[in-house]
Amino acid sequence: MDWALVVLRAALFFYAAGFVSALAALWGGPRGFSRVTPWLAGVGAVCHTLALFLLGGTLGRCPLGTLPEVLSAVAWASVVVTLAAWWRFRAEVLMLVILPLAIVVLSIAKVAPGEMLPVPETLRLPIGRFHIAAVVLGVAALTVTFAASLIYVVVDRALKAKRPARFFRALPSLEGCDRIGHLSLMCAFPLLTLGIVTGAIYSESLTGSPWTWQQREILAILSWIILGVVVVARLGWGWRGRRAALLTILGFGLVFLRLLGIS
Amino acid sequence: MILLYGVNHQSAPLDLRERLAVPEGELGPAVARLISGGGLDEGLILSTCNRTEILARGSGAASAETLKLFLQGRGGVQAAELDRHAYLHVERDAVRHLFRVASSLDSMIVGEPQILGQLKDAYAAAQAAGGLKTVLESLLQRAFAVAKKVRNETGIARAPVSIAHAAVVRAREIFGDLTGRAVLIVGAGKMARIAAQHITAGGVGSCTVVNRSYQRGSELALELGGEALSWDRMPEVLERADIVIVSTGAPHHVVTREDAQRVSRARRGRPVFFLDIAVPRNVDPRVHDLENVYLYDIDDLKDVADAGLRERHAEARLAEAMVDREAGAYLEWLRALEVDPTIVALRDHLHALGTAELDRFRGRLGDLTPEQRRVVEEFGASLMNKVLHHPILALKRSALRPGAGQLVAFLREAFGLEGSRPEDERRPAPDSPAPERSARDRS
Repeated sequence: MDWALVVLRAALFFYAAGFVSALAALWGGPRGFSRVTPWLAGVGAVCHTLALFLLGGTLGRCPLGTLPEVLSAVAWASVVVTLAAWWRFRAEVLMLVILPLAIVVLSIAKVAPGEMLPVPETLRLPIGRFHIAAVVLGVAALTVTFAASLIYVVVDRALKAKRPARFFRALPSLEGCDRIGHLSLMCAFPLLTLGIVTGAIYSESLTGSPWTWQQREILAILSWIILGVVVVARLGWGWRGRRAALLTILGFGLVFLRLLGIS
Repeated sequence: MILLYGVNHQSAPLDLRERLAVPEGELGPAVARLISGGGLDEGLILSTCNRTEILARGSGAASAETLKLFLQGRGGVQAAELDRHAYLHVERDAVRHLFRVASSLDSMIVGEPQILGQLKDAYAAAQAAGGLKTVLESLLQRAFAVAKKVRNETGIARAPVSIAHAAVVRAREIFGDLTGRAVLIVGAGKMARIAAQHITAGGVGSCTVVNRSYQRGSELALELGGEALSWDRMPEVLERADIVIVSTGAPHHVVTREDAQRVSRARRGRPVFFLDIAVPRNVDPRVHDLENVYLYDIDDLKDVADAGLRERHAEARLAEAMVDREAGAYLEWLRALEVDPTIVALRDHLHALGTAELDRFRGRLGDLTPEQRRVVEEFGASLMNKVLHHPILALKRSALRPGAGQLVAFLREAFGLEGSRPEDERRPAPDSPAPERSARDRS
């Protein structure tokens, strides 16, 4: 029996259960639902951690070599960062965005050590390992920014539509969303910058050129510029609100596309 | 028997409720007078603007008559008028009614928090006047526990039901915590005052009042602990404010779309919440279309409050079922309380009889071997248990039905159990931990 796969399935199950309870809380279910959501996600994250270790043990190397492995690690890190954000802000509703995202990513990335691939190039050099770690953590933090921005837009629409109070009970306040988005973006952006710089160095050491005009490189730079504009406007100009949220969502979308284009 | 007699906002017009009302200072003396009149063992009077109710324990129809005469005497009301508007609840209905009142299910606005405090005041007054003994004391304690449970486990007190409360809830949905927020009040009328009091109640960062008449503005500012500014400085403070309450008597827009646009731009995406509670409206409705600007007028807030009231009524259905269950559980506990000591007393009494008779006959039985003596003792004990079997069974069954007291009284008399009725002794409250049950059995 492949234990890594069994534990990963368990993680998927708990993520799904957490998502269902978050939905039930939003739908006006008893308050117990929103309380249980982070715990279900937490158990899922523990299973996921175990799955990553088991996979690493089977492969005999760090499980960050192939696209499915990286995607699985990104999903894992996103859930962990969200749990940390929950600990700080008590915004259970973040799980409503993160958990389905983690489920989708894990389903895309059927991470099973079916065929034993040779050790991927990226992992041979220290700079490659550094590059992948920075990208995984940066994308994880950016996922939280994305979730907070998405909820910001939803709450903004509801306030504009003058919805009844019941709808808002499970949601954080508008400013609360903005604060979570702001903090997580300030963590994500330096990490992603580091990812791009190390990526360029790695590319140069491999091909002799830091910039090869590949599609994924263009996507990376484009998303970096968009997020950079948001960061500079937020820090330098005190920019907040709906448009900042929308631009952040666009930036995350591009980062995600680029991530899928790794292989 | 537990009785509840009185009137409330549904059964009686305000005029009658006014006449029957007992001022808070007179609650204690009134309770003392009520129980000194005879026929009632315990009593409590609850009197608010929406109800005057007497909760009492006594026996039979005479006690109900006492309650009626008492209220009649207080209000100088004709018997026929009181009969038309008053209600009498007995036993389970009385317990349920009290639980409904305590849980704010019987209130004009379901879930309002004042009634529990008023009931606690009534409880303190009755206690001081010596109106509460075992049964009502335990009943009131249980009522407070039920009220807390209903409040925590259902949503009857959650949704906003007043315009001012709805405004606070909306402000929290935008800003979360309101401490540290800048509040601007434009106008100093009654509506502005009420809304400002609600918004600033939990503490805010700053509070500024702008009014055409500086004098009135500074009065309100003083009351709210803020500062007053002259009318012409409004544009400047408008940019700094997170929450703007507008309520002037002006027949035109005091805040125009251009004003709000300038504010929106200056705030760089930080949200601003306009509350227009003036009629006719003082803020251009198109302001709501601007990005990061949220405008709620009195109708919008009324919609929120109405939705809140509907939500509370839906939650009240859950609460009613909860209260009904609790009333049943309380009465079961109370009846078991009457029955248990009687069972113990019966057993003790008959076994004491057996032992005494055995001692008396010991001389005539001659020398018995230890084995023979044991058999004789067992015979006596077995006979007593057989005799007691059906009375005890009947007592236990009666604990689940009303009227247990009659059977208890009959058996006590039939078996010659002396002493007072068991319920007059101090008993542990229903929620007390297990060890006290055995203590009760021994008493």
